[in-house]
Amino acid sequence: GADVFLPPPQNISIISTNMKHFLTWSPVIVQGATVRYSVEFQGEYEREYANESWIPVSECSLTTATVCNLTEDISATVAYRLRVRAQLGATSSPWGTLKGFFNRATTSLTPPLLKVMADGYHLLVELADMGPAFQFRLLYWRKGQESRVQQQLVREVSSVLHLATMEAGAEYCVRAQARVEAIGRSSGFSPAQCVQAPGDTSLW
Amino acid sequence: GACRVSMSTAEIRAGFTAIKANIQSRDPVRSLSILSHPHPLNRVKSSDRCCITHHLLTFYVDKVFKHCTTEDSFLNRKISSIANSFLSARRKLGQCREQNNCECGEESTEKFKQILTNYEGLNVTSAAMKSLGELDILLDWMEKSR
Repeated sequence: GADVFLPPPQNISIISTNMKHFLTWSPVIVQGATVRYSVEFQGEYEREYANESWIPVSECSLTTATVCNLTEDISATVAYRLRVRAQLGATSSPWGTLKGFFNRATTSLTPPLLKVMADGYHLLVELADMGPAFQFRLLYWRKGQESRVQQQLVREVSSVLHLATMEAGAEYCVRAQARVEAIGRSSGFSPAQCVQAPGDTSLW
Repeated sequence: GACRVSMSTAEIRAGFTAIKANIQSRDPVRSLSILSHPHPLNRVKSSDRCCITHHLLTFYVDKVFKHCTTEDSFLNRKISSIANSFLSARRKLGQCREQNNCECGEESTEKFKQILTNYEGLNVTSAAMKSLGELDILLDWMEKSR
């Protein structure tokens, strides 16, 4: 049939949370046909030193999805430009380009998921892994002694972390904050979680 | 020097490790080194490290990466992320150099001139690929000198 005109994808946006970056767009509808899409990115280096060249993302070349994971490619703290076009057979749409630039420094950071446990008199913490770029700051205190908050920095999430040895019958609380050194920012704090040590606190 | 840029060498090293074998296999001149001939980088005095690091980041951004485009999309993407990371780090280091007035001593200036001589002694594509393949030498030196 006559070559169909393909409009560029619309509503192009980037969703970036906890240093994971996804480009999304609205589908281009052509009755009875499967439209495919291709995504390209351009970093500040390409704009200033490589003749404003664009780099294709192979996982998002001729894809039918309307989302593309750019986390691996946007791995520098500079301004990126992002674009996507539709393709149907030999016909390609004009490029649709994300308005403005995207810099990973603007990613939204959520408080870390935290599980606080008492194993006998041991105060233990388990942190959900948020990826290689993340470090954590833990604040813990004995309930009633809020002025004596202790802090621990965690550079790598491994297994369960031993925070402190608790006094009999006392209640201890913990909060956590995520930090990304590469962009110089931190998340908010998680809600405090408290556990109680066995035994009772009555003086003898 | 006084400038300690929180440059994420870990991210750059991860990107480089993913392409190192492929890049180094493209190096036709095994008997030569751009960064380590005739003296290794760790001879650079600590007071000069800030300045030499800035020079080396500029060397890679201005001279090396642009001649490293390949036919392989995966390589090109990883080289792009390394190049953009170098650009970001050079900007931070440049700001720091201005504030702290880090200057290069004579010995280190000679060392950097030697690197440029080594580079210009080869045809540009071989020199660029070899320099890219020596990124682990640069990263090791930058991490040790933190």
